[in-house]
Amino acid sequence: MRLILLIGLSLALASCSGLGVDPWERGVLAKPEMALDSEPLVSALDDHIYFSKEASSGGRSFAGGGCGCN
Amino acid sequence: MQPIELAATQYGHRATFSAMANPCELLVETDDAALARHLGEIVAAEAWRIEQKFSRYRDDSVIAAIQHTTAGNGYEVDSETASLLNFAGSVFTISNGLFDITSGVLRKIWKFDRSTNIPTRKQAKALLPLIGWDKVEWQEPFIRLRPGMELDFGGFGKEYAVDRALQLAEAVSGTPMLVNFGGDMRANRAPTMRDSWDVGIESVSNSLPAGVVHFRAEALVSSGDSRNYLEKNGVRYPHILNPHTAWPVMGAPHAVTVLGPTCIEAGFIATLALLKGRAAESFLASQGFQHHVQR
Amino acid sequence: MNKNIKITTALSAAASALLGVDASLAQETQAIGTWDFKMAALYYTEPDRVDAIEPAISARRQIDTDESLTLKLTLDSLTGASASGAVPSSDVQTYTRPSGSGSYTIGANETPLDDTFLDTRVALNANWERPLGRLLTMNLGANISKEYDYTSLGVNALLSRDFNKRNTTVTAGISAAFDDIDPEGGVPVAFGVMRPAEEEQPRAGSSDDKTTADFLMGVTQVIDANSLFQLNYSFSQADGYQTDPYKVLSVIDASTGSLIIEDAAIGLPRVVAENRPDERTKHGLYGQYKRNIGGDVLDLSYRFMTDDWGIDSHTVDVKYRWDLGSGYLQPHIRYYQQSAADFYRGFLLDGQTPVAGDISSFASADYRLGDFTGVTTGLEYGRKGSQPWSIAIEYYLQSGDEPDGKFGALNDQELYPDVDALMFRIIYDI
Repeated sequence: MRLILLIGLSLALASCSGLGVDPWERGVLAKPEMALDSEPLVSALDDHIYFSKEASSGGRSFAGGGCGCN
Repeated sequence: MQPIELAATQYGHRATFSAMANPCELLVETDDAALARHLGEIVAAEAWRIEQKFSRYRDDSVIAAIQHTTAGNGYEVDSETASLLNFAGSVFTISNGLFDITSGVLRKIWKFDRSTNIPTRKQAKALLPLIGWDKVEWQEPFIRLRPGMELDFGGFGKEYAVDRALQLAEAVSGTPMLVNFGGDMRANRAPTMRDSWDVGIESVSNSLPAGVVHFRAEALVSSGDSRNYLEKNGVRYPHILNPHTAWPVMGAPHAVTVLGPTCIEAGFIATLALLKGRAAESFLASQGFQHHVQR
Repeated sequence: MNKNIKITTALSAAASALLGVDASLAQETQAIGTWDFKMAALYYTEPDRVDAIEPAISARRQIDTDESLTLKLTLDSLTGASASGAVPSSDVQTYTRPSGSGSYTIGANETPLDDTFLDTRVALNANWERPLGRLLTMNLGANISKEYDYTSLGVNALLSRDFNKRNTTVTAGISAAFDDIDPEGGVPVAFGVMRPAEEEQPRAGSSDDKTTADFLMGVTQVIDANSLFQLNYSFSQADGYQTDPYKVLSVIDASTGSLIIEDAAIGLPRVVAENRPDERTKHGLYGQYKRNIGGDVLDLSYRFMTDDWGIDSHTVDVKYRWDLGSGYLQPHIRYYQQSAADFYRGFLLDGQTPVAGDISSFASADYRLGDFTGVTTGLEYGRKGSQPWSIAIEYYLQSGDEPDGKFGALNDQELYPDVDALMFRIIYDI
């Protein structure tokens, strides 16, 4: 429940605060290396390694598929 | 698609091609020939795309489509054309009507071929009803011209192309580079192998350079009558036309060079300076952009 | 008389409106109707343990301006040995292979590693992204994964809505997965005692299954022209068979701390099959921050996970992409720390071992459920251009404290050795 409140709070904060840019200021943000998941293949390979070595998985997105390694 | 030529230079590579009736080049500080060619292709492709899309001499351009669609609501434009039309509207206001993209219809009587064919005042006055951005019905995304009116993006087309081409090349690589379309140029950042980009400014009287400009990360635009003009009885008629009078602006400098943050801004200031005629220098001094004037 | 008003401010705004709007279109978008292929290969090696080669190929088709389909095929080829969960001893040990036929020998003072796993896994992923409105985007995905003893099928759906001039994006999604586990030799009886090879092993059936349901909710927010962050909450519920059918626990003599020998003739110690709960609920909180610093990019993320098995974990990941013009160099550090599962044990004591078939008791000696810290350090080098590529090398070190309760002969053994791995990765965009 606290987590849901945290998300709701940041959403409210974000939309009514001065955060953000106008459309013509998005030049840098539009660069491929500024995407939050700029290299999905690498993320997928890494996620798979850590899924089979550790007891945690996911967080950024859905885990792409199960395997018998954990 | 024409080929581009690539040559290695002292500081990297130089890609050259022809577009908008001008020699064009991309200077890039990289030893990677494949990257230089790739960037050159991106820059050339954008130059040709804009030339084809906004040319007033082509049947397949957006300009032709707008000029042919005067019925109903007019012509529905895409977002890029809308941005350019909005820009045209902004600069029309900023320049108090001196910078007007509907003045293109004057090409019918003014052909700047260095000949002596000056039209009459009567001919010029006759075209005035077809000139004026305030006569255009522009309600995004629909534009409607009065029959007989024409649009000409030539006043900022080349500068827009330089800015766009550089943006696209920068999206691929942040390496220092300079895009130069026939004297309108812009660099994304200062060169690393020397202090500044060195550019010669063409003199109006002979082929010796009138000066050398050193600049870092900005745009440079040269405007003037050294190539396009009419001359009769010792009087030179420059190709910068005043839309209020349908007559060239007399008393303007032969050439104006302006440095600004983008090509489109530098180009606008340079053109406006010429439109101010005798008052060009004082206008330029008041705007705060580095400039160079030749009379 | 000429009054020169300074027009540069108004001009700057007009120029920004013109070029800026187009700048957002100037990202490296794929041309419509084209396929873009990316190839990757990962080579993973744990000295003396597991080796894996994982080639992958992805194909992305730009169907329309904002619509795309991405397909990915991954091959996972594993060889080598991984820890079975049994403890090392000063004597030579012999264990039966999971299939029930054949056995393997462990030297004195060596961690028991089962090298049965020469396994190949094939996985196929598909993701379809499509706008549902001017500000609404939908992602639909499906995946299927198959190896000789494990099959997994999953689907997922994600909905994103932009707000605030596209500066804020809210995402919500669900996913469901169905796994079928068909272990070599069958599903072992919980806490069933390992019999010598060629004898009948305690088996509860030939296969079992597991269902997982996930929920994800997140906010992405642009802070300024150079930075943005993302905050996600995730929930996961797994029901079904979650035990590792190949992992065991050693049964230790309560007074001496030595192994109890099940069959002296062949040197088979007493080990029992592990058993994990058939229900697991996980919560996760993830935050990521990205910032452009003069052409370089800083990428920081933190993830907290907690579940009802008693495992809490923290993951901190830092990457710095140093722009070199036509290429880049990216150092990477990842710090991971987890607390042990409630039922994690280094071993079981004779007399306190659940009887075979007791499915309401839980115990596992799988080191991946223990208390440990994992640190990854790596470096990636990449080249930009029309066919970008990158190579990376990473080193991963897992180290944890010894499990509680060691005594007697166990004090002479290391029950939780460090495990390290080296990874090489190459990506090529055709």
